[in-house]
Amino acid sequence: MNKPEFVYVIYIASTPEKVFAALTDAKMSEQYWAGNRVVSDWKIGAAFALKLKREETDVTGKVLEYDPPRRLAYSFHPQHGGMEAEPPSRVTFEIEQQKDQVRLTIVHDGFEPGSKAFESISRGWPFVLSSLKSYLEVGKVLRAHWYEDEGADRGAA
Amino acid sequence: MRKPEFVYVTYIETTAEKLWEALTSSAFTKRYWFNTEVKSDWKVGSPFALVTNGTTTDVGEVLEFDRPRRLSYTFHHILDEAAKKERPSRVTFVLEPAGKLVKLTLTHEDFAEDSVVLGGISSGWPAILSSLKSLLESGTALEIPPPCGGIQ
Repeated sequence: MNKPEFVYVIYIASTPEKVFAALTDAKMSEQYWAGNRVVSDWKIGAAFALKLKREETDVTGKVLEYDPPRRLAYSFHPQHGGMEAEPPSRVTFEIEQQKDQVRLTIVHDGFEPGSKAFESISRGWPFVLSSLKSYLEVGKVLRAHWYEDEGADRGAA
Repeated sequence: MRKPEFVYVTYIETTAEKLWEALTSSAFTKRYWFNTEVKSDWKVGSPFALVTNGTTTDVGEVLEFDRPRRLSYTFHHILDEAAKKERPSRVTFVLEPAGKLVKLTLTHEDFAEDSVVLGGISSGWPAILSSLKSLLESGTALEIPPPCGGIQ
């Protein structure tokens, strides 16, 4: 059986610097990530946390790559819902300028077959990245009641 | 083995009716889909074509037209000899309202194992749907260069 991986490409009318900032700034992420915050000092090897609004535990991890404004990577280990028993997975963002837009590619891999975390992040990322796009383009974040009410079940991301 | 298919989910702040219109009306598609028109009378069984700058690039048949929930058509890329030899694939759009948003799920499937079209559409759809989202939310589509090879 193949190891699952999640790959998603989205184009955003913004600059690589702004996209990179949004992905790494706690206050900005709180806006578009439905109240969740990315927290790190972003040194290679340093701790990374996604502080969840609707869970008592955070997603923990380590900074793997930090190359503004082109590449960002961190390990990703949810601590709730039984997912703490799985090994950490890996998130890699690639940010490329294309004319007046940014092409943002996410690869979230390192899952074992049958991973519960994989199911969860596969539902979460399209919403979070759609919300990030709206946030940067029109200054509005997306609100979905199902995401905000049921956060953990609907998406660790 | 996983069957070859491409699935893309995006969330757009709009109504299902507006999004449906954007997917099925040439006046709209020209603005976000690399200047491409969708040509069909949208009756189930009717032909369907994508025409870019006067050239027909893809043809197919309407399979489902359930406004504003499900849209489906077969898809056959005809500009490239290798692509033309493949059997038609299938495109399905599912529109699910969620409060002020619509969740749009695109599934492009039924490819042969060694499909040459799958790679091209996998690059094309994120660009097309990102541009569609920008157009509906901000009023301006994205200026994205068409992918190499001209496939979608």
